[in-house]
Amino acid sequence: MRHTAKICFLSLLPLFITTGCWNLKEPDQLAFVAGNGLDLTKNGKLEASTLLVIPAGIGGGQINGGEKKESYQVMNATGKNVSDALDNIQSKLSRVVFAGHRDIFLVGQSLAEHGMGNTIDTFMRSSQSDMRAMIYLVKNGQPKDVFSSAPFFEPFITTTLSEEQEAIGLKPYLAREFVADVWSDATQPLLPVVSLNPSTHYSYNGSAILNKDDGVKLVGFLDKEETSYARWLTNRLISFTLTAFVSKGNGNISLSLDNLGRRIKVLQVGETIQIDVHLTGGGTIIENSTKLDSSKRKDLLLIQKEISLQTEKSTQKLVKKVQEAYKMDIFGFGESVHQQYPLQWKTLKHNWTKTFPTVAVSVSVDIRINDSGLTHSSLNKP
Amino acid sequence: MGRLGKSDVIDKLNANDSQSSENINRNIGNSIIVNEAIFKKVFQHSSDIMYREITIHSQTKLLLIYVDGMVNTDIIISNILEPLMYKGLPQGLGAVESVFEMFEQERFSVLQTKKVSNIDDISEHILKGNLAILVDGENIALLADVKKIETRSISDSAIEPVLRGSRESFTENLRTNTTMLRRILATPNLKIDSLKIGKLTKTDVAVVYIEGIVKPSVLNDVKKRLKQIQTNAILESGIIEQYIEEDQFSPFPQILNSERPDVVAAGLLEGRVAIITNGTPFALIVPMTFWSGLQAPDDYHQRFLFVAMIRWVRYIFTALSVFLPSIFIALTNFHPEMVPPDLMLNIAALRERAPFPTVIEVLLMEFMFEGLQEAGLRLPKQIGPLVSIVGALVIGEAAVSAGIISAPVVIVVATGGIAAFIIPRYSFSFPLRMLRFPLIILSGTLGIFGIAIGISTILIHLLNLQSFGTPYLSPVAPLNKRGLKDVLIRWPKKLVKNSKGDQV
Repeated sequence: MRHTAKICFLSLLPLFITTGCWNLKEPDQLAFVAGNGLDLTKNGKLEASTLLVIPAGIGGGQINGGEKKESYQVMNATGKNVSDALDNIQSKLSRVVFAGHRDIFLVGQSLAEHGMGNTIDTFMRSSQSDMRAMIYLVKNGQPKDVFSSAPFFEPFITTTLSEEQEAIGLKPYLAREFVADVWSDATQPLLPVVSLNPSTHYSYNGSAILNKDDGVKLVGFLDKEETSYARWLTNRLISFTLTAFVSKGNGNISLSLDNLGRRIKVLQVGETIQIDVHLTGGGTIIENSTKLDSSKRKDLLLIQKEISLQTEKSTQKLVKKVQEAYKMDIFGFGESVHQQYPLQWKTLKHNWTKTFPTVAVSVSVDIRINDSGLTHSSLNKP
Repeated sequence: MGRLGKSDVIDKLNANDSQSSENINRNIGNSIIVNEAIFKKVFQHSSDIMYREITIHSQTKLLLIYVDGMVNTDIIISNILEPLMYKGLPQGLGAVESVFEMFEQERFSVLQTKKVSNIDDISEHILKGNLAILVDGENIALLADVKKIETRSISDSAIEPVLRGSRESFTENLRTNTTMLRRILATPNLKIDSLKIGKLTKTDVAVVYIEGIVKPSVLNDVKKRLKQIQTNAILESGIIEQYIEEDQFSPFPQILNSERPDVVAAGLLEGRVAIITNGTPFALIVPMTFWSGLQAPDDYHQRFLFVAMIRWVRYIFTALSVFLPSIFIALTNFHPEMVPPDLMLNIAALRERAPFPTVIEVLLMEFMFEGLQEAGLRLPKQIGPLVSIVGALVIGEAAVSAGIISAPVVIVVATGGIAAFIIPRYSFSFPLRMLRFPLIILSGTLGIFGIAIGISTILIHLLNLQSFGTPYLSPVAPLNKRGLKDVLIRWPKKLVKNSKGDQV
């Protein structure tokens, strides 16, 4: 018995070694994709662009002698659908495209206006797709132009893009969150936006509101400040610098906020739903051009109150704008209703898109100044 | 029988040669001439055997036989020859009986004497360094222990160095070694059973244990297996190891060896059995477990927090030494998405000009590394450093800058190699070094799946392995919570109690 088992094993062994499942690919047989972009060309054709890393260009020390190579290459191709376009890119390359390390996914504005539900699905489904990749929408430009813009720090622009959100205090909006938003009952996706400057360098430029119920179509944009408030409302903000005019001191005060929090309370009065949002934050004064002395408790409380009030106003304005102009629940209020009134939600959810603009939302803000920001008294003597 | 000429006797012996060789249990005769002839025949062509005939009062003949160089001639002269030759027997030497009486009364001032009449026994004793005294007219020989064998002195342990603890290590002499154990364990319960193994070498082997602590089943098992050894020669304890181990085909050693008396003593205190062999400083300790292969002699001498950390470093490095090269291959060739992007791109960049597939590169470098190790081991000490210089230059530096081997492979192989050096028991690093190769091939063909197959196979094998009835992976499998404390963190001594409630 043992003997036969041995013979079987020995005869199977060469089968493994010689045939194996040879999905073995040496790193030098792969073309590493750092970023993918999708857009529509002017005549309505789907165009895919790919940022490929050229390993020989990114160092490797003494190995690559001779001339310094470019560290990346942007490849574009059009096609009938995404697979076809990607296939057309592959046909221009001598190495197998490998998207397992893709950091960035860019969607062109024209594609977003057309609705990107169908096309982006292909990317999200791909087994190589990293759900930790980030999605951006490119305003006033095309993904391939962003890819081609020269990066300062990193060898290619995608790394820069993936670190951008964290650097400005936003919780990175990852592909998996986008997917979760699209699949959720109520929340509408709020994509970060980059746009190209005349100097052909990109800049972060707020965010885009999409309508997932209509093929993930672009509805409108929010600017940078609005985005920060919107992110605060959705609890996707890490830190935030807030500048407000304090009328009593006749000057501006800048606060660096962290410890940001949000509480949503849903009240049902009869048929109507009322949502109370309570925003909290702790901060340090980083600039004070008012006559108020932040080291005095009285003044500090005044500043605190004034800033909270102003933030309340701007937030309320934003909510109103979204409710009236875009009619999209980007704040995830629907989810809160779902959590707090699960039974009622069953009937509400079918009509939520229509209900949302009519919901009464009140925002209260409570900002605490933890640190008056003084190392010595102000040079600007009142 | 009367007196016979020497030549007659030899003729007679030659005539009876075939017959006598069959008859092993021959005894010596009464005639000293016959006896001398017998031994000269036994020790033919042996120039180091000395025969000294002594005539006292021109009457009685004595014959001393010994091996030159193995006896203490001072003792022979002052304690044996002097009383016989100069002082004479108290009332002058009368009959032969008087000499024999002296034997009877053991008047010689040596420590051990013995009376033997069997030729084979006598010759064996002579070869072990005893002095044989034959008396004319007596068919019995007196053996006096006047051994003086040149041995190496006790020195530092060369292969099991410690930071803290005893520096002495065993020597080649069995008695010296058992003495060292006696010095550590001053209890009458320390038992040292001896037996002889090997038809030609007749090597002294001592089975050492502490009565009351040792597991009787293990002890009986050891004795039984030792008795079953049928061989001509035991040159080193490694030969005994091969005869008594359970699974010869396992890459893992099932018997611990150590040249440190404190390690052996610690083993004995844990209820193990030690087998000490004459002629080698390496004692065997049974049973052995997987974890004892990863414990250093001074683990118990250092403070426990540090040892707990160092143990984990050791466990991790042990795993690295086996799996690192294969994991590297699997990750870079099959699952590049599992490597952090920047690292993967770096590896890819360094591989741009590599001529060989990664698997071949790793195998090549592992092969070279093993070669270097072996070369460093066998070289005379004077040119030893040369190997490391040439090896480091050729393999580390030149191979990379020439673009033959990619740099990450050198790092991986070197790390894996160094990791194997951290294992405190040198013989325990052999299986780890060996198992690398099948794992490399498995991962090169099947990726992570192949490594999983490899790990499962190794684990199944380890779970099946036993050393003298003790499961190899105990106390982890089968689980024993008390023992686990010692494996995972080496619990503080004060807090460890053994099964009887005593502090160990």
